[in-house]
Amino acid sequence: MLRIDGLSAWYGEAQALREVSMHVAEGEIVTLVGRNGAGKTTLLRCLMGLHGAHGRTAGTVSLFDDDITKLAGHARARRGLGYVPDDRGIFATLSVEENLTLPPKMGPDPWSLERVYETFPMLRERRRFPGTKLSGGEQQMLALARVLRTGARLLLCDEPTEGLSPLIVQRIGEILREVRAAGVTVLLIEQNVHFAASVADRHYLLAEGRIVESLDSAQVREREHELLEYLGI
Amino acid sequence: MRNMRWSGGLAVAGLLLAGCGGGPGGGGGKISNDKIVLAVLNDQSGIYADTSGRRSVEAVKMAVADFKAKYGDKAVTDKIEVLSADHQNKPEIANSKAQELYDRQHADVILDVPTSSAAFAVATTAKNKKKVFIDVGAASTELEGKQCNKYTFHYGYNSYMLAHSTGAEVTKDGGKSWYIVYPDYAFGQDMQKTFSTAIKEAGGTVVKTDPTPFPNDNFSTFLLKAPGLNPKPKVLGTMHAGGDLVNLVKQYNEYKLRDKGVDLAVGLLVISDIHSLGPDALAGTRYTDMWYWNLDGTARTWADKFQAKAGVRPTSNMAGNYSAALQYLEAVQRGGSDKSDEVVKQLEGHKFDDVFARHATIRAKDHLLLHDAYLGQVKPASEVKEPWDYVKVLKTIPAAEAFQPQPDPSCSL
Amino acid sequence: MLQQAFNGLVGGAFYALLALGLAVIFGMLGVVNLSHGAFYMLGAFGAFIALDSFGLNFWLSLVLVPPLLGLAGVVLERLFVRRLTPLDPLYNFLFTFGLALILQDLVKRQYGVNSQQYPRPSQLDGTVDLGLFTYPAYQVFVLGVSALTCLAVWLVLTRSRVGMIVRAATERPELTRALGIDVGRWVTPVFGFGIALAAFAGVLAAPMRAVNPLMGSDLIITVFAVVVIGGLGSVFGSVAAGFAVGLVSALGNLYIPSLSQTLVFILMAAVLLWRPAGLFGREEAFR
Repeated sequence: MLRIDGLSAWYGEAQALREVSMHVAEGEIVTLVGRNGAGKTTLLRCLMGLHGAHGRTAGTVSLFDDDITKLAGHARARRGLGYVPDDRGIFATLSVEENLTLPPKMGPDPWSLERVYETFPMLRERRRFPGTKLSGGEQQMLALARVLRTGARLLLCDEPTEGLSPLIVQRIGEILREVRAAGVTVLLIEQNVHFAASVADRHYLLAEGRIVESLDSAQVREREHELLEYLGI
Repeated sequence: MRNMRWSGGLAVAGLLLAGCGGGPGGGGGKISNDKIVLAVLNDQSGIYADTSGRRSVEAVKMAVADFKAKYGDKAVTDKIEVLSADHQNKPEIANSKAQELYDRQHADVILDVPTSSAAFAVATTAKNKKKVFIDVGAASTELEGKQCNKYTFHYGYNSYMLAHSTGAEVTKDGGKSWYIVYPDYAFGQDMQKTFSTAIKEAGGTVVKTDPTPFPNDNFSTFLLKAPGLNPKPKVLGTMHAGGDLVNLVKQYNEYKLRDKGVDLAVGLLVISDIHSLGPDALAGTRYTDMWYWNLDGTARTWADKFQAKAGVRPTSNMAGNYSAALQYLEAVQRGGSDKSDEVVKQLEGHKFDDVFARHATIRAKDHLLLHDAYLGQVKPASEVKEPWDYVKVLKTIPAAEAFQPQPDPSCSL
Repeated sequence: MLQQAFNGLVGGAFYALLALGLAVIFGMLGVVNLSHGAFYMLGAFGAFIALDSFGLNFWLSLVLVPPLLGLAGVVLERLFVRRLTPLDPLYNFLFTFGLALILQDLVKRQYGVNSQQYPRPSQLDGTVDLGLFTYPAYQVFVLGVSALTCLAVWLVLTRSRVGMIVRAATERPELTRALGIDVGRWVTPVFGFGIALAAFAGVLAAPMRAVNPLMGSDLIITVFAVVVIGGLGSVFGSVAAGFAVGLVSALGNLYIPSLSQTLVFILMAAVLLWRPAGLFGREEAFR
């Protein structure tokens, strides 16, 4: 459903992505693995159409066989992309419930507020709180719930497990598997190799803006130590 | 670097031209570059642009025309140019413009220069270049004190004149206790000091003085405080100018301080300020000016001529520039040369009467123009008979009393 | 003392109205609108021209002038600001600065630098007894109307879907877009609205302040300090800081007049040392 061809991106003179080509099939969970500065976040931002404000890009991105390279961010979201940024992107000036109701419903199967609250009961309890008064884990749940409410077909999640306790990481894994079961596709940035192997089908290893390897989960499990060492964790 | 090369080239060209010329011209070669160049350097875009600005340039052009008409063929030269430049009230710009005017544009005299700090800068330049400078627009008495020099003249008014007539007259008239507010920069500080001195000399007291931010659009703090001071002041003396003054007066009326027994006295009031506020906002306020367009027939005739050209009634500053330009040209005519030293010699001690300056003397010891000043009172709108007719002249303050009786000892020319 | 505090709030009302407009524009467009002061000045001149040339009284000006200038702001955003936004912020910085100078000089050319006469509306000529003290009616009116306006803006921002979008887009415009909201559609009306608020403050100022071409440039420097103190782009912060700065400068004038010139900037420096993002700002806003 997502196809990237020869995508390059620059910040001023510095090139952050070098001719990245990859694809994600419908119903897959795919992770991007790589050291800090390898270009993972830049890649997600390019997919979301957020890179243009800072620098230039080249190459094409297509979604459901439509070229979306030239579309603005909001138009991409309306085509079914749901974005969870690396800092979760919870609005401090909006309450929890407002954070959930802000994005318009777009896809074929948007979650109702009721469904969100059933899945994440603590969000119901705190729905009047300012968004950023939640704990890190709760904010992550809120960010995920928010894109699900739009009915997004492809979730772009930038390190959803970073800095969270093992219990919450486990919960996030469950949720991702759940949404996949409902037909949602996920592209995930993940430094937690173990988690990545447990939840995803395929993995791309990024280094210095290039895709250097494509692995399946069995290969990742085999090379877990080597990868951890490489990533410097 | 490029500028220097340019000015060098121009200087050479100037020398060559001077060498070739010298033939024609009634003055017989005593006029440098074969022409007289008068330069008006003042604020043409900022807060004093309407008080003086381009309209003073117009007034100077009128002086040139009147001079030519008076002397005809007998004039030292019929080539008289008028230049102008904007100093934006900034000393550093005033300084560089003055250098440019004197050096590259061959100005023989610079006129006007409001804002005292800018005037000091030009005075220094005039001294270094040995060129004449007649300041009309600045208020500081230091121009004829510490900052005085052989080539600088102070023409029209100064803070002493304002303080000793407004301050003293209002005090003698029953306004014994004062609360003075002043903008916190050189002009305001100088005005505050001279007013305080004059009020005390006249037997009054200064209850309190407060600096205000500059510029400022909210004077409520000071206005609210005024009636509560101990002892309660009878007069609120404001040393503000331009927009600050308008703000203060609007708010003074809003707080109805006059009804609370606190009268208003304005240190420096220009007729264009009265026009801005409307006469009722200032009705009854007493102030001092160096001239008023409807003073008498002579002044009025000239004001009519001016209005035909400039479209408005002249401020005293514009008339002052007319007079300064005229007296400069007269001095050149008398001495037959525009050489600075000769002009200075002709100006020093000169006694005259013109449209602007009455019973006037240019004091030789400090180059201060002594002339009559006027205590005026703003009319209520009901008494205003024609546009711009805002002031009733209460009293003429004779030249001998209006300015410092003795030159400042710190001045040596 | 109470009276002085009240007077500080009146002064603060102007800061708050101007800072509010600046904050929403900065938040949503990332544009520091240096022409904001010029539109304040145009608001006052608008009222003057309406009275002088068309005989429209203060009340009509108060209703008509801000929307008209807001419309001018809309055109401006469409024609210029929008095209410059994707470029370096410096371009809009220079554009709005240049625009301020042009507007100022055009007015100067037509009306000179001297202040224009503008009378107080006769209905508000007297004083009002506020219990503890009496106060000029017009100033009470200014404070009341500004507070109501700020309150109305606050209600719209917190209680409506439009407000929610504006708050989100003010906080994180990119992310808001990534969530499927066409922020660009809201940018133009918000810019126009910010300008209209400045013009509204200008009309309010006309009867009590000097109406001249420089009135905006004199005031706007303080307003920028207010916006920084409140936290760049923080709507609530800018309003609160506006009233607070009004209060502080009034009391500063009273107790330490020699410092009144610099007090606001000392306050700004102190706030920035204590909280680099301003009182209500968030560090993330600077990413």
